[in-house]
Amino acid sequence: MRRTKGFTAVATSILKWAVLVFFLLVALLPLCWLVLNSLKTNLELQTSPFAFPARPAFENYANAMAMANLPRLFLNSIIVAVGTVFLNLLVSSMAGFVLAREEWRGRDAVRTALEAGVLVPIIAFMVPYFTLVTKLGLYDKLYTLILVYAAINIPVSIFLITSFMRAIPKELEEAAIIDGCGFFQRYARVILPLSRSGLVTAGTFCFIYAWNEFVMAMLLTSSLSSRTIQLGIRFFTSQFITDYAGMFAAIVISMAPSVIGYVFLHNKIIAGLTAGAVKG
Amino acid sequence: MKGIFKRALGVVLVALLALPALVVAQSPSKSGEIVLKWPCIWVGKDSKAQAVAEIVESFNTANAGKIRVEIEPQPDYNAYEQKVRTSLAAGVAPGDIFTIKLNATTKEYYQSKLLMEFSKELSGAWKSSFDAGALAQSTVDGKLKTLPFETAILPIWYNMDALRKAGVAAPPATMAEFWTALDKLKASGVYPMSQMTGDVNAWTSMIWFSHFAVSLGGQKVWEKPFTDKAFVESAKLMQRIFKDYTTPDAVGAGAGVSGGHFLAGRTAVFANGPWYAGRADLRATPFFPSVTIAAAPSAGPNKGIMISRLQANIAAGETTDKARRAAIINFLKYLTAPENVAKIAKSSGAMFAVKTNYLPEDALQKQFYTIAAASKTTATDLEAALGAEATLEFAQQLGALVLGQITPESFCAAVERKIDR
Repeated sequence: MRRTKGFTAVATSILKWAVLVFFLLVALLPLCWLVLNSLKTNLELQTSPFAFPARPAFENYANAMAMANLPRLFLNSIIVAVGTVFLNLLVSSMAGFVLAREEWRGRDAVRTALEAGVLVPIIAFMVPYFTLVTKLGLYDKLYTLILVYAAINIPVSIFLITSFMRAIPKELEEAAIIDGCGFFQRYARVILPLSRSGLVTAGTFCFIYAWNEFVMAMLLTSSLSSRTIQLGIRFFTSQFITDYAGMFAAIVISMAPSVIGYVFLHNKIIAGLTAGAVKG
Repeated sequence: MKGIFKRALGVVLVALLALPALVVAQSPSKSGEIVLKWPCIWVGKDSKAQAVAEIVESFNTANAGKIRVEIEPQPDYNAYEQKVRTSLAAGVAPGDIFTIKLNATTKEYYQSKLLMEFSKELSGAWKSSFDAGALAQSTVDGKLKTLPFETAILPIWYNMDALRKAGVAAPPATMAEFWTALDKLKASGVYPMSQMTGDVNAWTSMIWFSHFAVSLGGQKVWEKPFTDKAFVESAKLMQRIFKDYTTPDAVGAGAGVSGGHFLAGRTAVFANGPWYAGRADLRATPFFPSVTIAAAPSAGPNKGIMISRLQANIAAGETTDKARRAAIINFLKYLTAPENVAKIAKSSGAMFAVKTNYLPEDALQKQFYTIAAASKTTATDLEAALGAEATLEFAQQLGALVLGQITPESFCAAVERKIDR
């Protein structure tokens, strides 16, 4: 009997690890493949896409940096992503505070309407945004991307931040009121600091979106001075031919900030995602 | 945390305040100088990029202080097409000068008042420098709102090393020779042909289908209903090819896969345009010296028809400013001057609607010019003739057809339903 139980436990453990290793490979192999292929020549890539490079072609990285003014585009992407996160969190946290902590008529309807924005495909915004941006004279400006990305991410951020703020005990806010905190102080000194994980989660999603976004950047900008790194990556493609090796090197370079950001912030992101999942 | 947040806030605020300064720092225009914006697809790694940039540079030098053309890089072709569509839908021309791929879908743009009409300016020597057929194809309802520029023929490519090894001495000219050659290639251990059903147009297979359809139904086959016998017979030929003569991954494969098989020597017969000749990885293959370009074998009674298409037509944003209009025309005349077109052709291997004396020195590129000259006439391919929606349906239904899930008749009926006549 004990032997059967032992066998079942071992089998379960093996199965569990097999499933975990499988999903780990599914997640990591494309990344490894990308890094490996960024060190190959185009001919190697076409003829033997799964083999190791005969000689690591580090020049792909040098070409990637030289091509399409990549350092400038990289800087633009940082400005856009950071600016987007700041603006989005500012607006979303204020909205989230009012939606989560204040009682007023129509609150649920407004929250539902705002959060429903998550369901609208980005492509539906293309013509309205383009019209608005050109009419306002904001075409081909770096800060236009910040405004648009921040706006597009408001539904997701409000959803995340509101969920988090609702989990903060009411008593803390009541104590702050007794201590003399007004409306803005309750937001800035009590709720906002306690919503750190939620803000980091929303900010991370926002950063990743702003960093990876391509369609709007292509649509709303035209010159190198206002374009982002995702457009730089496309400089390796043409109407008929793609320099995949150079493009993969550029992709690896462009992935670095997101990966580094996640490495440093993953605890906060996971805490934010799981906030409210377990009721005490 | 509080300190970090405050510092981050400070940095972001400073960055945001500095943004307008960054934007304003773009190249200023001198007073009186007309600046023409050209959202251009020939940038980055495109084989025409360098020559086009040099032509623009020399134009700007010659017109210093009067006209300056600024290239706005549009590195992703699909996104560029999306941008052109969105821009026109929003009532704004995508640029002072821009290019479109003229086909059944984009001909709708001719209804827009945002596009300049060239009929008045295009006359005399400038007009006669263009291929008359290409000009006719670019004229819609008597209006010429785009100038034909880049064209292409879409012939068949043969790895003659593989064919000779299999016992085939020359590219097949008839269908009987074609099937025999494929059987011999198969027997020699090579997948005979590259085919594909992926991407938005099943590119390589779409070219084959176009050759078969035109050969069976004639130059104006695309004007017939897609349920016509010529299309049904072409569908049957595609079924046979996919069943017996292509790679196992052809269903669902994209252009990268089908081209990759040819480059790797896994297949010996391929279909594509002249731009493929410029690929460094093709030139690095051991069989490159043997690559032979030929017309497709005639599947029907119509012989000597080559599949060709307008690859890029030049358009301009309409303007009421006479000086600006003159500047645009001035630049377009310069860009389409035979010596400049020859320069682009030489660097890229592409073919153009502007007549030049240029004949490539490169043996492979020269074959394209020779094949084009040897053709009796040309006909457009399926995508150019029927538009994006019908082509997408063609690509999607092709998989079902070759897997035997639908009959050739129902395949053709499905495509017919998507044709906007």
